[in-house]
Amino acid sequence: MASLGPTFGRGAMTNHWNDIANSDCVLIIGCNPAENHPISFRWITKAMDKGAKLIVVDPRFTRSAAKADLFVRLRPGTDIALMGGFINYILENNLHQKDYVANYTNAAFLVSKDFEFHDGLFSGYDKGKRAYDAATWSYELDAEKKPVTDPTLSNPRCIFQLMKHFYARYTPEMVEAVTGVPKKQFLAMAATFAATGEPGKAGTLLYAMGGTQHSTGVQIIRSYTIVQQLLGNMGLPGGGINALRGENNVQGSTDMALLFNIVPGYMAIPSEAAHPTLKDYLDKETPKASFWINKPKFFVSLLKAFWGDAATPANSFAYDYLPKIGKGYQGAGYSWIPLFESMGDGGIKGLLIWGMNPAVSSPNLNQAYGALAKLDWLAAFDLWETDTAQFWKRPGAKTKDIKTEVFLFPAADSLEKEGSVSNSGRWLQWRYQAVKPHGDAQSDLWYANRLGLELKKLYKADPKAVFPDPIVNLNWNYGDTPDVHLVAKEVNGYTVADKKQVLNFLGLKDDGSTACGCWIYSGSYPGPDKKNNLMARRDKKDPSGLMLYPTWAWAWPVNRRIIYNRCSLDPQGQPWNKDKAMFHWDPVAKTWKNLDVPDFKWIDPATKAHFGPEESAKAPFLMLPEGKSRLFVPGGACKEGPFPEHYEALECPYVNPMSAQQSNPVMKVWKSELDRVAQICDPKYPVIATTFRVTEHWQAGAMTRNLTWQAEMVPEMFVEMSPSLAKAKGVNPGDWVRVKSVRGEVLARANVTRRVAPFCCGKAGFANTVEMVALPWHFGFAGLITGGPDSRQNYAANQLAPMVGDANTMIPEYKVFLVDVQKV
Amino acid sequence: MSKAMLIDTTRCIGCRACQVACKSWHNLPGERTEFSDTWTNPKFLDSNNYTRIIFKEIDKPGGQLSWHFISRRCMHCNDPACASVCPVGALQKLENGPVVYDDARCIGCRYCMMACPFQVPKFEWGSAVPLVRKCDFCADRIAINLAPSCATACPSEALLFGDRNALLKEAHRRIGAHPAKYYPEVYGEKTVGGTSKLYLTAVSFDELGLTHQGFRTDLGNIPYGIYGREWMSKVPWIALTVGGLAVGLHYFNQRRAEVQSQKSQESQEGKED
Repeated sequence: MASLGPTFGRGAMTNHWNDIANSDCVLIIGCNPAENHPISFRWITKAMDKGAKLIVVDPRFTRSAAKADLFVRLRPGTDIALMGGFINYILENNLHQKDYVANYTNAAFLVSKDFEFHDGLFSGYDKGKRAYDAATWSYELDAEKKPVTDPTLSNPRCIFQLMKHFYARYTPEMVEAVTGVPKKQFLAMAATFAATGEPGKAGTLLYAMGGTQHSTGVQIIRSYTIVQQLLGNMGLPGGGINALRGENNVQGSTDMALLFNIVPGYMAIPSEAAHPTLKDYLDKETPKASFWINKPKFFVSLLKAFWGDAATPANSFAYDYLPKIGKGYQGAGYSWIPLFESMGDGGIKGLLIWGMNPAVSSPNLNQAYGALAKLDWLAAFDLWETDTAQFWKRPGAKTKDIKTEVFLFPAADSLEKEGSVSNSGRWLQWRYQAVKPHGDAQSDLWYANRLGLELKKLYKADPKAVFPDPIVNLNWNYGDTPDVHLVAKEVNGYTVADKKQVLNFLGLKDDGSTACGCWIYSGSYPGPDKKNNLMARRDKKDPSGLMLYPTWAWAWPVNRRIIYNRCSLDPQGQPWNKDKAMFHWDPVAKTWKNLDVPDFKWIDPATKAHFGPEESAKAPFLMLPEGKSRLFVPGGACKEGPFPEHYEALECPYVNPMSAQQSNPVMKVWKSELDRVAQICDPKYPVIATTFRVTEHWQAGAMTRNLTWQAEMVPEMFVEMSPSLAKAKGVNPGDWVRVKSVRGEVLARANVTRRVAPFCCGKAGFANTVEMVALPWHFGFAGLITGGPDSRQNYAANQLAPMVGDANTMIPEYKVFLVDVQKV
Repeated sequence: MSKAMLIDTTRCIGCRACQVACKSWHNLPGERTEFSDTWTNPKFLDSNNYTRIIFKEIDKPGGQLSWHFISRRCMHCNDPACASVCPVGALQKLENGPVVYDDARCIGCRYCMMACPFQVPKFEWGSAVPLVRKCDFCADRIAINLAPSCATACPSEALLFGDRNALLKEAHRRIGAHPAKYYPEVYGEKTVGGTSKLYLTAVSFDELGLTHQGFRTDLGNIPYGIYGREWMSKVPWIALTVGGLAVGLHYFNQRRAEVQSQKSQESQEGKED
């Protein structure tokens, strides 16, 4: 999300699941939908029925690869080199969608004269701080402070030319040296997908954690976005860049800010240093252009939703109540890694775990267990007693030394409660309770509500309570047994005076007269009654024939099914593909006929007059101040640089062939005693390891390792290895082997298969062959099956993975690290 | 109208939702299993597993890897051998497709198991009153106009339920439209006189190496029911003379059932994997 936001303006899947069926070519890279999003394959298969090509890029031959027209085996963590080569291929061969690139991207913008790139580093690097001063990564401005552009794209300092020059280094030979993809195969892939650059063709790019869980994760996704921009694949039916969310409500959880750096609706969480007052926050965080000029309305309405009558203009709408970032670990805020680092240091004393299993899913698990053991208390809300709830009696634990008090709360499952689920395609779908919760189980909402009420009571009663106001004054009126409809209505937003639901976010104000729990969801429940709950709609009408289903459930924003949809039309307002038109501009009547909700300026809300297409062609990306999507991200919004550059993973068996800069120069490296990493080309750990999921198990395994029907299909921990590695190690199929990293080890049964293979990479003259193993990370030590027969063993793969994170999101690098393999 | 299922293995993504859906609808227990090197699990059909996906890695010409996911279950023959040899009529081919089994009638002779050319019917070896078990094509669902549970769960429409004639037409349409994608025969169209399960594969079952795992290609097109009836028709003539012998046979069978433990069954069937 940290890549898509700075590139296009919003951090979300641009299209939706059904829409994949409209595609002419599907590029799967860094995800495995046949196994991890099997329903999506319904739509991929439908696209293929109509003649679409399927390309799968993966280090492993997966079940998705088994269905592909072309499988490309990529060394893990080298996506930027592959995409860089692809960008170079497109530009060298003049295959980009010219009208699109010139009009809808920032290709024509000129960049500051001081911007430079040399041997792996952009201008402004401070080695001591491991950070950039991004001042030179900026547009050149004219006297009126407007960006200077060259519509001919020929000025050597325009982004198009800079990009062309930048990626010229990524030759097919270099791609092969870095990624291990043979030149011939690379060219076949490039030619197949680049064919979607033809106007009227649409290619979709699907990715997930295989792209993001790297120390260069954000820039990897950025490289995908550049390809899609060059080929003009944004905003079209069958196009877009689609982040496949690993759980059915992960989109909802990020929309509602279950992230450390935002508040609901993708607004930055205020920082103690930069935003001491509401005015500071609104001044600094509100851009001068783009739809985000409305941010004060959304932010103040959010504060009103949080604190109701206690939020007044006099107290800046209770801005002081809102926690600020800055007190977090090393000032970086509490993302995953700092949370555990802080627990380990004794900073964080208590932990609420809702439907999560970090004792299996966290990287460097032995470090994570140590952190959990420092807690005073841990409360787990789950369907089962998970590995996390049992961490104190895990194999090898010194139970008597662990003082953490653990509480276990039985949770209702998804069929036992009512509420909305936001899927990957931004659809909010209402679900009903099918059965009453089993035993004493309660919904998460019930627990959260009870916790809120109880805290309010305790803080009110305690004369010594420290800063009780934010809790005592919390606007928290959902009843003793909470009504989920009240929550949904508050999320939609209402006018404070008469408690009337707003129609959508255009009704929100920055004067405290409206309240709204999440502005992007505004419009989902625009009236007082259950019949106004648009998330519950189940009408299968599809007037466009493009599977937009506008009256099925509700999609954010404002029921728009495909975002950035102005890009489906040429600058004159005619669809690139007449058979897949979502909008019709009548040049005579000067009116629009819309089959999706326009994501562009088309109507004057006051006069109801329609704007011509030339108006919206100026700014097809409403959420960005310049109105164009970004091939080049200015201003340090992506911390490694404005263009993605290949760096190796922190633990890597190769010297970076691209530059002298071995790994991400701004990556956060933690320095505690337990943060061990292997050396580059470490002879003790000569094998690349990566982790993956299988269809049969779900995430950290609590839900599936406790179900016999799932457990019988994949009952034991295993490690995929090539026949050549098995031979070298004297391992027979099915043998138990020990996989060791510098941080830990895990036992697994050898799955000897040609689905994994060694890579031959490296600079010309220094190429060598390195084996790769792959481990599923579903197993652990608790539950019906743990991963093996020995109750004294922990079968969790993440005992091996390092706690090292991307510089933007701190997402841990689960997908590449170094190990050794021994026969037990 | 006879119902059938077109199993287009080129569309199967190996997600095994069908395996779970089958167990869910038939209320079958999950089993303690061990790691399977091919990923196929459970390792054989038995009285608790009516369907499973066989995972098969083979090399394409040119050395490229291909990975096939083949759904295995009862073929529901048009003229089933199992029904023809059943002395008590416990097995029956319904007009609308399924070959079903009546618990109340079965005497446990297991002729059906010996007669089936696909090694489908399985015995409840662990039960005190053992019965025969196999895929029933969700006859109860079909009777109320629902598709079988496996086909309902399949995300990629690899399991297509419908009228046999229409499905055959569709199968040939696919072969015609994508000759490079399909092996040009529909397994089950003519095999043993035709079956209600119709398979489309990328390559032949010989090439897949599955001829000893339930997909024999040497069975011919003559309905196996004919052989069964021929054999069974001799029974009345020799019934009297064999009467005494039959009693002996009964005890012989019972003894064999004891000897043939679950373990030996597993090792024998394990080869199917």
